[in-house]
Amino acid sequence: MNVIYWIATNVFGTPAILLGAIVLLGLLLQRKTTSQVISGTFKAVIGFLIINAGAGVIVGSLNVFEPMWKEVFGLESQSLGQFLGQEKFNTQYGSAVTLAMFIGFLINVMLARFTKIKYIYLTGHMMFWTSTVFAGVVIHTAGDVAFWKLVLFLSIVLGLYWTFQPALTQPIMRKITGNDNIALGHTSASVALLGGLLGKLFGNRENDSEKIKVPKGLEFLRDSNVITALSMGALFLIGAIVVSLKSTPGAQELVAKAGDQNFIIYSIVQSFTFAGGIAIVLMGVRMFIGELVPAFNGIATKIVPGARPALDCPVTYPYAPNAVILGFIGGFIGALIWLVVLGNTVSYIFVPTMIVLFFHGATAGVFGNATGGTRGALLGGFATATIVAWGQFIMVRYLISSTIPDTAMWAADSDMFIIGPIVAFLSKLLF
Amino acid sequence: MIKLLCVCGLGQGTSLILRMNVETVCRELGIQADVEHLDVSSAGGVQADYILTSNELAQSLAGHSAKIVIVNNYFDLNEIKTKLSEALQQ
Repeated sequence: MNVIYWIATNVFGTPAILLGAIVLLGLLLQRKTTSQVISGTFKAVIGFLIINAGAGVIVGSLNVFEPMWKEVFGLESQSLGQFLGQEKFNTQYGSAVTLAMFIGFLINVMLARFTKIKYIYLTGHMMFWTSTVFAGVVIHTAGDVAFWKLVLFLSIVLGLYWTFQPALTQPIMRKITGNDNIALGHTSASVALLGGLLGKLFGNRENDSEKIKVPKGLEFLRDSNVITALSMGALFLIGAIVVSLKSTPGAQELVAKAGDQNFIIYSIVQSFTFAGGIAIVLMGVRMFIGELVPAFNGIATKIVPGARPALDCPVTYPYAPNAVILGFIGGFIGALIWLVVLGNTVSYIFVPTMIVLFFHGATAGVFGNATGGTRGALLGGFATATIVAWGQFIMVRYLISSTIPDTAMWAADSDMFIIGPIVAFLSKLLF
Repeated sequence: MIKLLCVCGLGQGTSLILRMNVETVCRELGIQADVEHLDVSSAGGVQADYILTSNELAQSLAGHSAKIVIVNNYFDLNEIKTKLSEALQQ
């Protein structure tokens, strides 16, 4: 009994160790050399722990951003309230998340093997974020759910989502790529389909976005560190200037946070710290997914003949690079509009993460262009901003507020916002 | 053993798929290589013999000491095989 308890606590209960064990298994199954097995396992575990470090950095700067913009809009100090935070959540539920990812993947493989839907979802980092966010919703809605119930529930939801989402986007994907060899496996599927729909209804297929000329000097915007720092820097700067000019007690309290330093300088540093935190988290995810996905791929290709990979959204970009920019522009403008609307109506400070707005807006742009040309691309981008802004509001305030709103604010996105309420509803029913 | 770097914009999904395909190609061609995947931002600070990336990102990496190999379709094993063999023969 003690052995079982020991394993339950120290292997299953310690996410870093459990993850290491899964990766170790995957590497052994791929018949890697001893040195590759050791380095792969270690890298996966270290990567996972780096995520915690980065999450802490992000929270720090969000704790300046949020109150600052509340002051700008003159809202009641309704802070984020009590929440666990990514770090604590990862420590407590990381094992359940990791295991749900693995079993969800196996369910995907089984469904691909035994049905006509042959898609294997290989976008590892989105698998991680979707599992984490859904877990956060379940725990927030139903409290501390028993480990195996949580794992089973999540695995089934994820397995179904990862198998069926690529099937839903494939019709338009075939139009975009001109073949049936690759599918889309990404959480932008919902806004991509929305873009496709809006393009069909209001767009003009003849006006293909690739026929127009878009400025080339904007290539540096592809660097996520640059675009995050730029956009957050601008928002922090504007917010800081407005707050510095106000003399309300709330404003003075904020300015005092900077101590001797000028508040505007302090705020700019905070915005770059935010970008830094994201860079740290992404590095951690890259390391651990870099070991997990090849293992998953190895398993899938052995079990499912004729499997087709469902891949990350940039797959679509080379087919319509102008639509990518148009989708992003539509998304960016939409985000700014919704930032002001949400602040002034429901008192929610929307965090317009450029990473989400770029990748999702771009994909929606490509899908919108496929059905409706330039207008479709722009509408797709705007629709993306709408879903992301309102989705973030609903999720952070209602669906995940006691667990990981800090993560939801920058890493949660379209499909998670759409399926999140369903997960919450099912949690209420079942737990 | 040569060092190959697979680069994409965010360093999360696309470069990883390229890396897996490059590893497959290296196995087929009998090339001993250490293959990593990275985002374009971090790639600047990492030493490598060859960098495999897209046309747009190649411009950002122009000053890098590694030889840049342009791959248009990260999922086309034949293209990767052709481009990599060409680069290694030079």
